[in-house]
Amino acid sequence: MQELTMSDLSHPKRRSLRFVRVFPGILICLVVSSGLAQAPALPNPFPSTYKPLPRTDTLIDNATVLDGIGHRLLNAGVLLHDGKIIAIGPHLQAPPGTKTIDARGGFVTPGLVDVHSHLGDFAAPYTLRDEKVSDVNEESSPNSAEVWALHSIRVQDPQFARVRAGGVTTLQVLPGSSDLFGGRGVVLKNVPAVTVQQMEFPGAMPSLKMACGENPKYTFGEKGQFPSSEMGNVAGYRQAWIEASEYRRRWDDYYAKHDSSLRPPARDLKLETLAAVLRGQILVDMHCYRADEMAVVMDVAKEFGYKIAAFHHAVEAYKIVPLLKENHVCVALWADWWGFKVEAYDAVRANAAFVEAGGGCIMLHSDAPISGERLTLDAALAMGAGHRAGVDIPEERAIEWLTINPAKSLQLDEQIGSLEPGKNADVVVWSGDPFSVYTRANIVFIDGAIVFDRNDPRHQATSDFEVGQPAMERPQ
Amino acid sequence: MKRVLLISLLTLSFTASFAQQSLDPVAVADSIAITGAKAYLQPGQPPVEDATILVVKGRVQAAGVGIVVPPGMRIVEAKGRIVTPGLMNSASQLGLVETGTPDTTDSAVTTGPLGASFDVQYALNPNSTLLPVARADGLTRAMVVPVASATPPFDGRGAVLRLSEGPDILDLSQAAVVAEVGGMVAPKSGGSRSAQWMLIRSALDAARRAAVPSTLHKEDDKSTLLSPSNVAALVPVIKRRVPLVIVAYRESDLRQAIALVDDYKIRVVILGAEEGWRVADLLASRKICVVLDPYASTPTTYDQMGARLDNAALLDRAGVVISFKAAFVHVSYNAGIAIREGAGVAVANGLSWSHALRALTVNPAETWGIEGHYGTLQPGMDADLVLWDGDPLEPMSAPVMVLVRGRQVSLETRQTLLEKRYRPGMAGDPLPPGYR
Repeated sequence: MQELTMSDLSHPKRRSLRFVRVFPGILICLVVSSGLAQAPALPNPFPSTYKPLPRTDTLIDNATVLDGIGHRLLNAGVLLHDGKIIAIGPHLQAPPGTKTIDARGGFVTPGLVDVHSHLGDFAAPYTLRDEKVSDVNEESSPNSAEVWALHSIRVQDPQFARVRAGGVTTLQVLPGSSDLFGGRGVVLKNVPAVTVQQMEFPGAMPSLKMACGENPKYTFGEKGQFPSSEMGNVAGYRQAWIEASEYRRRWDDYYAKHDSSLRPPARDLKLETLAAVLRGQILVDMHCYRADEMAVVMDVAKEFGYKIAAFHHAVEAYKIVPLLKENHVCVALWADWWGFKVEAYDAVRANAAFVEAGGGCIMLHSDAPISGERLTLDAALAMGAGHRAGVDIPEERAIEWLTINPAKSLQLDEQIGSLEPGKNADVVVWSGDPFSVYTRANIVFIDGAIVFDRNDPRHQATSDFEVGQPAMERPQ
Repeated sequence: MKRVLLISLLTLSFTASFAQQSLDPVAVADSIAITGAKAYLQPGQPPVEDATILVVKGRVQAAGVGIVVPPGMRIVEAKGRIVTPGLMNSASQLGLVETGTPDTTDSAVTTGPLGASFDVQYALNPNSTLLPVARADGLTRAMVVPVASATPPFDGRGAVLRLSEGPDILDLSQAAVVAEVGGMVAPKSGGSRSAQWMLIRSALDAARRAAVPSTLHKEDDKSTLLSPSNVAALVPVIKRRVPLVIVAYRESDLRQAIALVDDYKIRVVILGAEEGWRVADLLASRKICVVLDPYASTPTTYDQMGARLDNAALLDRAGVVISFKAAFVHVSYNAGIAIREGAGVAVANGLSWSHALRALTVNPAETWGIEGHYGTLQPGMDADLVLWDGDPLEPMSAPVMVLVRGRQVSLETRQTLLEKRYRPGMAGDPLPPGYR
């Protein structure tokens, strides 16, 4: 196991260097696009109204710390001040007025970042009406780029609290995978709230959910509609990007003329999102299982000049590790889902370990809420499988799959994803080794505020849905 | 972290005299002595340290401390690692499903005459690629339940599998009759769960009449809502030879199941029971076994409002015989890892480790009526045995050796073979992976 000295922590550019290594394509793309198009920044008509919960400066001390960027510190502390991490390491002194939490025997990690969640847009309880019509997929058209997951979020979904108790502090909620273009995703802070704007991560870049393979093909093909084949899927992407390129050109021409007397081109919600992807203002999160499909889709992205942040599910990522690396595309994986459909038949449990060993970028995602409650156990499963296949991943590396890597994929790694001075104080105090089935998250902080404390009912928020439910109360 | 793979240490040494004693070459080949194990011979009891287990002719011949290994047996040195009985999943569709496509799925019928009498045993596929994956996770037995029939609320009859290699995987056929109630399936019975209970009661009434010999030769029972073959399938339930399995979650449905036990004196097993903790004492007093999903924490449907992670612990504390199943893709595809990690989740939420192991072995054996030959490592039992590289409830752990009825099974799966084909370092191979 790698241990850390204080000098390791003092590399000022380490994080940004890693950023360049993983995502050079984005940086270039952003620079070029803004220079040419002069398009304004992407507007958000539904801006965040998030406010941190009440907080106290806190020193979490005497813990084993996995900092999210490859280090393991023993008997160390993390100092939280005004919602930020201001120090990490051994022998920290708590300034006056700072509360100390003795985490002896426990572990401390960054808050977990779930890059693929359906909480709120596939809210519990599921009902028979959801079988026909559900908030997770807009199934009226294979191109639903105009919809936003934000608008489907039911903030009183009781599952938010369950994954909060599992240490998840940030979630990207995505539309489902029925469509070629499923719509925009949204990044949320996992705080109890009354409106979705109160959960919205301020300033987070939206994503566009797209899907490969069986889901769009069967969703529409079985209704006798387009697409009804894999080749139809790809034709559907390309045709839409052609239209989006033309739309973008119309608007870029308009912006270039700098003449407010000119009538602007007509707005189109669908094309607006797609044009923002072509401008690099929105990254694509692509549901894809098979290696051959992922390879084709990466070529489509090159053809039209957009960036895929990650392939989601990517059960065959292990077959094309160099190609993924070359294209700077991350993969967001389950640990062990396989076989439930033909395109998932070649899944292997060493997938994450093999991509990691090949220098690729790995994230573990939940997709289903029961996984979101224990993402670290999925990591443990993947580590065990890697070990048996000859690839040992240390814990301080595996935790990156759940912290800094998804933070980078969401372009939020300046703020979250690791325990470094200056970052948001999103922190989890675990009862023990987070990769053990017996360990539970004891205390969860978001922006320095305790949002969950297993031993203090005052910090255990429940959804409105759970209020006054006799079935949840203990019988006399 | 470094674990020594036991496989490389296995020694194979036959002697001529031993071979002569036993004329059955299969038995000779499978005579194995496991030594130096931390052995959970009787789940629920403390482990036996430095235990020796002798496996002969597919059975445990002797197990305990200080047992002398007869000459000629293959010796496997456990080196202090954990040995448990093979694990059992209490509700899967192993052997009935492959890739989720209708042509590879045999777990339900939706048209035709079959209801309670639908019997999954004739569809079992011993070459299913799911079975090696489950075995490599330490699963050696599984209850296989149908999920729907053309005569709701009945789903049909389940079977117990043994996960041995080769064609002979059926352990016990017609091990239970399954019915399913609740809001999500109510439309299949007309739209109300009350109809589901009325149909179950009507069917049990008919089976009770059919079970009386004097009525056997009469014309078909016109008062029943079920066909004679479907009624006949329920006669063993009325005679308490097999349990009626009821898939149910909500407290009201669990109380209806309890009432069935009182009214018909039948054995009932509940699958689901998310709100079981609310009626734990009643379930225990009626000896109703519960198969639960240890991950269930959330009101997934309105029937599961009371779901909570300590359901397993609360039911166990009340004396209910519990065992495990999983949900969604994990039901069958991850039938092994899901229940052993799930057992760990139950332990993290209050169940004792030793009772978690019971819920993976002796409890399902008792629930499904195979406790006479499976569930412990006591002499005479089938030698379903797993040697683990760590704590079996930890997701990072895995078996290093699995025996099913005394035969060592391969831990190779489609997945491990694909891993071998694409392992890191092969990227520079000029030939396509297909040649590997």
